Amino acid sequence: MTQEQVVETADFIARYLSHMLGAGVHTSRVVRNSKRIGTALGVDVSIHTSQKTATLTVKSGQLMNTRVLDIPAFPISFEWNADLSALSWAAYDRKMPLKEIEAKFDELISKPRMNPVFVLLMVSLANASFCRLFGGDVWAMLVTFTATMIGFFTRQHLTRRKVNHYIVFIISAFVASLCASTALTLGIDSAEIALATSVLYLVPGVPLINGIIDITDGHIQIGISRLVNALMLIVCIAIGMSATLMLVKDSLL
Amino acid sequence: MEAFWNSIAAYNAATWPFQLALVVIAAVLTLILRFRPSVWARNAMKILMVTFSLWIAFVYYLGFCGERDYSFVMIIFWCMVAAAWIYDLVTGFSSFSKSQGRYRFWGVLMLLLPLVYPLLSVARGLTFPEITTPMLPSGVALYMLGVLMAFNRKINFFAFIFVVHWALIAISKIVLFSIPEDILLAAACLPAMAIFFRQAAEKADPEGRKPSRLMMNILIFMVVLLIAVCMVIPNV
Repeated sequence: MTQEQVVETADFIARYLSHMLGAGVHTSRVVRNSKRIGTALGVDVSIHTSQKTATLTVKSGQLMNTRVLDIPAFPISFEWNADLSALSWAAYDRKMPLKEIEAKFDELISKPRMNPVFVLLMVSLANASFCRLFGGDVWAMLVTFTATMIGFFTRQHLTRRKVNHYIVFIISAFVASLCASTALTLGIDSAEIALATSVLYLVPGVPLINGIIDITDGHIQIGISRLVNALMLIVCIAIGMSATLMLVKDSLL
Repeated sequence: MEAFWNSIAAYNAATWPFQLALVVIAAVLTLILRFRPSVWARNAMKILMVTFSLWIAFVYYLGFCGERDYSFVMIIFWCMVAAAWIYDLVTGFSSFSKSQGRYRFWGVLMLLLPLVYPLLSVARGLTFPEITTPMLPSGVALYMLGVLMAFNRKINFFAFIFVVHWALIAISKIVLFSIPEDILLAAACLPAMAIFFRQAAEKADPEGRKPSRLMMNILIFMVVLLIAVCMVIPNV
């Protein structure tokens, strides 16, 4: 293997791991998959990850290439997670050459994205279902449905405008819970369930789960970073919801 | 329920000349926007929407609904509706261009529906001032929906989903507070949801996103159908 080939391999693995980390895949899987591709291509891969950057070394005998790369903030994608993991196995099992792996990778990451209106409707339906699971009646579900829709649309709109995502979380939680609080005017028993469930779409489930998995897998540093990030988002939800509760009920309980 | 109708009666008795004036202004402005559209007419319509929202918040809810539980929640809600229109006014988002084809019919129908509110109340045997009017929250929401439908080339989606939220609250009031007049808003909201969500989905789909347009249309239809079922079944 020549130095040029090592650099080309490092180029690809850098793209691969930045896409996986950016799409919310937990660290040990990213490391495992990247190493698997490295093995398929005949190189050793070493990776160090942090919240915003990763350091990658690709080594073949005495030849070596090391780089530090930024982790882009892609939307969380379980599809990329599954597809790109399958790609690493395909590369390993079929001993695919680099060009073929790259072509397949480009094909997978350029698949069409979800329609934002589809996501809007599904998230609203999911929150309405949560409301039902927690004991809400049909009116509370309807209010939760539209309150979530308003909150999530606000989130989509502000995110498109590149507003800081902590501020986006605070505003979205405030708007959704305030709209859900209109259920209180109906005098229904489950109005408070509507209020509580209207912000569930904001709960950062993936960073929380990834944080725990990373810590249990020994990636303590990035695990704690992810948990702190998730905690900050939860605090933002709490701030938004507290603002509504103080306005509407004059207390936090 | 008594507090509900008492507040409507007090509001109508005290403000009917202003209500009438606002309805006339809305009618004139709608006709101007329809037959002589211009930048100032579009901005005037947005200012009218802000005025209507703030009227409902501060005149109706703050002035006459103090007896009702959590009436201040509605003040905040209608201020948020006003904020959505102010945002539109500042960013110039809605073009208020005339709708095409079949949507025009729905738009005209929805614009006229608020005027049916008092007729329905009278038909139910109610007498002034204890009747519903176009300048009550549901009438105003219906008018907003009508304007969005009649001039729907590029709509204020924020304002639309606020109106949908209000309409779903209105659906519950049909059963919980015995206000059958609100069937008008609920019934108008369903086709509006189908049309506007379809438009939004198509607009967000320039490069063939997932799922396919057919699947999106089916999903939107199912959601609207689900809400319609909730209107029919009072409790689950």
